[in-house]
Amino acid sequence: MSAATVSRLGWLALVPASLCAGAGALFAAGRLPLLITLPWVPAAGAELTLHVDALALLFVLLITGIGTFVFVYAAGYSADDPGRRRLFALLLVFMVAMIGCVTADNLLALFAFWELTSVVSFLLVGHHFDTESARKSAQQALLVTGGGGLALLAGLVLLAETGGSYSLVALLQSAPGWIDDPRVTPALACIFIGTFTKSAQFPFMFWLPNAMSAPTPASAYLHSATMVKLGVYLLCRLHPAFGSLLLWQEVLIVVGGFTSVVGMLLTLRERDLKRILAWSTASALGTITLLIGIPGDGAATATAALLLAHAMYKAPLFFVAGNIDHATGTRRIDDLSALAPLMPFTAVAALLAAVSMAGMPLSFGFIAKDLVSLAKAEGSVYPWVGYSSLVVSAISVAVAGVAAIRVFWHRGGLAPGPDVREGSVALWLPPLLLAGLGVVLGPLPHLLDPLIGAAAEAMRPRLEYAGLRFSLEDGAALGAVSAAALAGVVVFLNWDRLHRLLERVSWLDRFSPLSGYQALLRGIPATAAVSTRLFQHGGLSGYTAILIGAVVSAVGLAWTVARPPLPAPGAWPDLAVIGASALLVMVAISVCVVRDSFLLLLVSGFAGLGSAIVFLFLGAPDLAFTQFAVEVAFVAVTAAILLRLRRAGPTGPAPRPSALRALLALGSGAAVAAVLLAAVEGPANRLLSGFFSAQSVPQAQGRNVVNVIIVDFRALDTLGEIAVVGASLLAALPLLRLAAGLARRDGGRR
Amino acid sequence: MTPRSGMLDVVGRVLYPAMLLGSVWILLRGHNAPGGGFIGGMVAVAATAALAVADGTASARRRMLLEPLRLAAAGVLLAILSGLPALLAGKPFLTHLWFDVPLGAGSLALSTVYVFDLGVWATVWGALGGLCLQVIGLDERTEVAVSGANGGVTPVERERRETRA
Repeated sequence: MSAATVSRLGWLALVPASLCAGAGALFAAGRLPLLITLPWVPAAGAELTLHVDALALLFVLLITGIGTFVFVYAAGYSADDPGRRRLFALLLVFMVAMIGCVTADNLLALFAFWELTSVVSFLLVGHHFDTESARKSAQQALLVTGGGGLALLAGLVLLAETGGSYSLVALLQSAPGWIDDPRVTPALACIFIGTFTKSAQFPFMFWLPNAMSAPTPASAYLHSATMVKLGVYLLCRLHPAFGSLLLWQEVLIVVGGFTSVVGMLLTLRERDLKRILAWSTASALGTITLLIGIPGDGAATATAALLLAHAMYKAPLFFVAGNIDHATGTRRIDDLSALAPLMPFTAVAALLAAVSMAGMPLSFGFIAKDLVSLAKAEGSVYPWVGYSSLVVSAISVAVAGVAAIRVFWHRGGLAPGPDVREGSVALWLPPLLLAGLGVVLGPLPHLLDPLIGAAAEAMRPRLEYAGLRFSLEDGAALGAVSAAALAGVVVFLNWDRLHRLLERVSWLDRFSPLSGYQALLRGIPATAAVSTRLFQHGGLSGYTAILIGAVVSAVGLAWTVARPPLPAPGAWPDLAVIGASALLVMVAISVCVVRDSFLLLLVSGFAGLGSAIVFLFLGAPDLAFTQFAVEVAFVAVTAAILLRLRRAGPTGPAPRPSALRALLALGSGAAVAAVLLAAVEGPANRLLSGFFSAQSVPQAQGRNVVNVIIVDFRALDTLGEIAVVGASLLAALPLLRLAAGLARRDGGRR
Repeated sequence: MTPRSGMLDVVGRVLYPAMLLGSVWILLRGHNAPGGGFIGGMVAVAATAALAVADGTASARRRMLLEPLRLAAAGVLLAILSGLPALLAGKPFLTHLWFDVPLGAGSLALSTVYVFDLGVWATVWGALGGLCLQVIGLDERTEVAVSGANGGVTPVERERRETRA
């Protein structure tokens, strides 16, 4: 099964590696915070400002550091995948988008990069686009995160309008001045939706396990280590402004705490190793969200430490799951057992990562877990949050056990096939190194002090950083760890029993947010069907009624709101204009009486004639000419169509006059009159007409201003227009020829 | 069909040439007096439509300057060409140039603007005239076929029977 080859595309890992080294050097040189301004659209005055502070740098290091391992791993994982070029291209695009998102200073640039990561995630989840489930999951991921992105945009715009700036730095600095604005609450609500969808928080968490149809490198990179942490990043970023708001604290603590428990419980309902890991990722993100909501210095430090620790154990676990899948062809934990002798390196990597995930002493996970419980104790949070953390810790110990012990050492399930063996070095080295790093840093956490401290300070200015330390003397921490480990072992041993129990709870499926999402999707075609039946019924008189009714009500509403002044009655117009108006009135009356369609056409032709006469005598001879000519062509063409319709078959009796139609007709007449009266009275802008009148002769040597505008001042527009006129003939000819052919055939048959 | 041939004479011999002449006149006076390519073209379209109703589309098509689609294309081409001399003179595309041609006592002002307007006129006549011909022809062809199939019953006659039934 396993390929012994490594794709040469793996050299691309040098890109994130060098970026990571550069970012590290930048940090070591103490050049933070850094503002880099790049011209973007100089003509519009838009520029791209990158703001690199310690928080951004922590994320950049995560993105490029984990990215290096992911690129190497992908080279081994996709060596015999024909779509590997696309995979690497998308991973590169994703990395750039992520770096852009965490360093962008402008809110709209941040949003653009944010959405770009959603799009790349969509493409990666749908990498195996020939399977239906992958396509569905991709669509789900895009709809949830993309929809959340729209809410985020609304929130960011509202925030920027409230704070008076689109620059994050400026907004955070001026925060005390606008924090009491009533618009802050709706803005925050929108931002919460955006960040919760991205970071898979309740109730939007269901897309994350389904996104596991992505290739494993993408799952490890996007859906565990980096992209899903964007929501958390934005919350961290905004923390200095909102951290003291009660709304902020309550929402984050409740949603984050609930997600961390529910996510962990839901791991028990899964058999697929990657889906188990995905739910535990959602749970960990919930814990981070909860921490951001807790006020206090310890919470900020714990957030930064957990961000790092989670990436260092979850990404290797995903790599391990991918290796197992690669070697055995399955990720179902029932079909896997006793893999350790066959895949020794992967087994060791899994063990190292599991130690950190379970929060056992001597690992960086222990440090993070210790900080988390300290922060919870320090901030006065709800009691249920404290109890729930025992559940979360216990199950995460069990999940770590399933991923590292059950599938590798447990003997009981199916025996592995004969051709199962360790993959290429690119497959086992990244998880081994990354998980090893997570353990080595355990006893030496002070190496990370400068980074974690600076990042925590970016979240919480004037923070007193206590420093990371490793000690086994802290009785409380050890007690908590041993309690969790004990409970975890119990859960681990009863995993199958708990699984069966939870699987039988069917209301979890029926009332889950996922079923709500599915009902929503089913509702779209149903709504479309109803609206089509209502508005697209194919009856011309119905369309006309809706159109006119809408115009009349819009004008009526505008009129009642604005109440424009009416023009005073002026002098009597010319006799010719009076005559033409009389003609128009007579036409209008006879249109109501005549029932024959040809006669009706002829009569309405007279209406055009009458208005042409009015134009002629009111000083618009150009318009009068056009009106005459258009009227002649219109009557001729419509007569031809009417004849053709009549011959195609009986059209049924003409509709009877009804009160509704009469009302609509009167209303539309009144609406047009109202608009005209208001327009005449309103002040007209004479700037342009003045310019054209003055410049027509000196610049274009023509006295007919209308024509000079058409052929000279705006000649390019006219060129475009006549091109469209010509193209319309090109477009209509085939259709009309087809119709003529059909008509000939029909006629011949009759 | 006496009434129809009488109308044919009036439209074909008098009205159509007169309308076309008027159309060109409107086109040429456009720069300094009401008129121009759009309006002139529209009058030509009306002439074509009137002729098509009176004498059939085939005849109206024959009496257009060019095949409608070609006429429209030629119009767009003329409009583009009128903008090119400006490029040679180092000015932006479609900047119109004026030349005074001395003619005895006075002089004649010529300009690329007239070429442009001619292009507009030709496009409007070709495209909209072509559309009118096609739509009017839609009915005409059935008429021939129906009368053939029904043994010489004219459409008007047929219609009268149908309404009575």
